[in-house]
Amino acid sequence: MSTELDTDVSHNIEIGGDFKGGLGGAMIRHLIILLVLLFVWEMANRTGMGDPLLLPRPTDIVLSIWKIYVTQGNVWYHLWVTFKEAMLGCLIGCIIGIGLATAAVLSDVFRQFLKPYIIIVEATPRIAIGPILVTWFGFGMSSKVALAALVCFFAPFVNTITGLLGVEEESYELFRSLGATRKQVFWRLMIPTALPTMNAGLKLAVGSAFGGALVAEFISAQAGMGILMARYTMSLNMPSAFAGLLSITLYGFILFRIMEFIDYKVLYWRTDELMEKKSLKRSLAWKKEMQS
Amino acid sequence: MSDVSSDGILKGVKELSLVHKLSMHLGVFVILIGGWELGSRLGYVNELIMPPPTAIGYRLYEMFFITGSIYWHYFVTMFEAVCGFIIGVSIGLSLAVTSAISPVFRRYWAPYAVVFNVTPGIAVTPFIIAWFGFGWSSKIALAALVCFFPPFINTLTGLLYIDKDATELFRSLGANRKQYFWKLQIPSALPIIIAGLKLAMTGALIGAIVAEFFSASEGVGILMQRFAFRLNMDGSFAALIVMSLMGLSLFTLMEYMDVKVLFWRRHSRMEEVSKKRKAKWSIN
Repeated sequence: MSTELDTDVSHNIEIGGDFKGGLGGAMIRHLIILLVLLFVWEMANRTGMGDPLLLPRPTDIVLSIWKIYVTQGNVWYHLWVTFKEAMLGCLIGCIIGIGLATAAVLSDVFRQFLKPYIIIVEATPRIAIGPILVTWFGFGMSSKVALAALVCFFAPFVNTITGLLGVEEESYELFRSLGATRKQVFWRLMIPTALPTMNAGLKLAVGSAFGGALVAEFISAQAGMGILMARYTMSLNMPSAFAGLLSITLYGFILFRIMEFIDYKVLYWRTDELMEKKSLKRSLAWKKEMQS
Repeated sequence: MSDVSSDGILKGVKELSLVHKLSMHLGVFVILIGGWELGSRLGYVNELIMPPPTAIGYRLYEMFFITGSIYWHYFVTMFEAVCGFIIGVSIGLSLAVTSAISPVFRRYWAPYAVVFNVTPGIAVTPFIIAWFGFGWSSKIALAALVCFFPPFINTLTGLLYIDKDATELFRSLGANRKQYFWKLQIPSALPIIIAGLKLAMTGALIGAIVAEFFSASEGVGILMQRFAFRLNMDGSFAALIVMSLMGLSLFTLMEYMDVKVLFWRRHSRMEEVSKKRKAKWSIN
C-alpha cells in the first residue's frame, strides 16, 4: 500500500510565488491583468455578448457589495450565523477526531477494531448524511453544527493517528534509555512529532467545516450565507449572489491565513528565525535560573 | 474533503491469522448491530430517529430486488459523478501541465488558484443551478468544479519538485525537453497525481450529491432527501448505505488503478512487470 501521507498539498499554493522584480512590481502587473479581465467582461456584457442576468457585470457586483454591506447591511448577520455554525462544528469535530485518534493510538485493540469502520467512513461521501441530520436536529442551528462536525472530524482524526504513529524507533530508544515515563513519551515525543501532521489536518478541517455548514443551509435554513445565496440566485438577483460568494471567498482566505499563522507560531522549530528567538529566550531563562 | 489515506493505521498491531481476525471483527459487528436492534425493539431508541437495522435491511432488499427502483437513481448519480470527474480532471491536469511548463502562466494564474482554493467549491451550487438548470448538466458541472482542484495542485507540485540528482543525470545524458518531461517529470509525479485523482473522485461524488440536494428530480441524493423529509428514516438510511457502496466501488477502482499504474511501488508488481519486459526484450 502506498503510504502517501501528504496527498493533499493544497497548502503548497505559493508555488507561483517567485516574484521577479520585487513584490511591488509584480503586484502592479497582477493588478493590471485583473483590471483588463474585468474590463473585457464588462464590455462583453454591455455589448450584449453575455447575458447580464446570468453573468452580471463587475460594476453591478461592486454596487451589490456596497448594498449588502453598507446600505442594507444584511450580510453581517448571515455571515455571523454561518461563522458560528462552522466554528462550533469544527471545534466539536476536531475534539472528537483528535480524541478518537489518541484513544486509537494508545490502545492497539481499539485501533484494530476501528479499522474497518474507518475505511467505510472514508469512502462514504460524509456530506450525504445532511438530510438525515436535518431531520434529527431540526431546521435550526444545531443541524448545521452537526453536519459541519461530521464532515470535518475525519481529517484531524486520520492525521493525528498517522502523526502519532510516525515516531521513529531511534527516538523511542533514546527516550527509553533516558528513563522517560509513558506520560513523558506521549507529551514530549509523540505530540511534538505529530504536530505538523495534526496541524495540516486541522487546516483541512476548518475548510470542510465551512462547506458542511453551507450544505446544511442549502438543505434547509432560515439564516446563513448558504441560504442567502440560494435566495438571491433563485430570484435571479445574480449581482448580490456574486457579492455573497465573494464574501465567502474572502472569509475562507482569512481563515486560511489564520491557520498558516498558527502553523508558523506553533511549529517554531521549522523556521530558523523563530527557532533562534525561542532558543535565545530559553537559554536566558536557564541562565537566570542558574544564578538564583 | 479529506485527503489522507487510512493506510498505516494498523502499524504496530500484532498480526493474527485471517480467520481469527475476521471472526473477531464479525463478532464486534454483530454485537453492535444486535445492541442497536434490541434497543430499538425494546423502545430505548426512538424508531423515528434510529430505525432498527432489520428495517433498513428490508428496505435495501425492497429497493434492489422487489421494486428495483434504486438502479435508475444509482445510475444517474454515478453518471453525473463520473462525467464531472472526467471533465474536472481534464481541466485540472491541463492547467497544471501548462503552469508547470510555462513559469509566466504559473505566475499570473497563481492568485486565481488561491481564490479557487479558499472558496469551498460547493458554495457555488446555487450559481451552477441557476446557470445550468435543474437537469443532469448542473450536477456534472458542480462535480467538475468541486473536483478539479486536487488534481491540479497535486500535478503541479509533482511536476515541479523533481529530484535534483535525477535532473542532473538526465542533463548529463543529453535528454531533450520532451524526454525530460515524459521520462522523468511524469513518472516521478505519478504517485502524487494519482493521490490527487483519488481525492477528486470523492469530490466529484460529493459535488453530484450536493447538487442533487439543492434541486433535482432523480438521483440517490434527492431520493434520500425525499425519504428523510417524509420521515421515512429506514429508507433514507438505506439510501445512505447505497451512497457508501457507491463511494466504496469508486474508491476500489482508484485503488486498482493505483496498483496497476504505480507498479514500481509494490515489490510483487515490480517483479511481474520486469519479468514481462525482460521477455519482450529477449525476443527482440
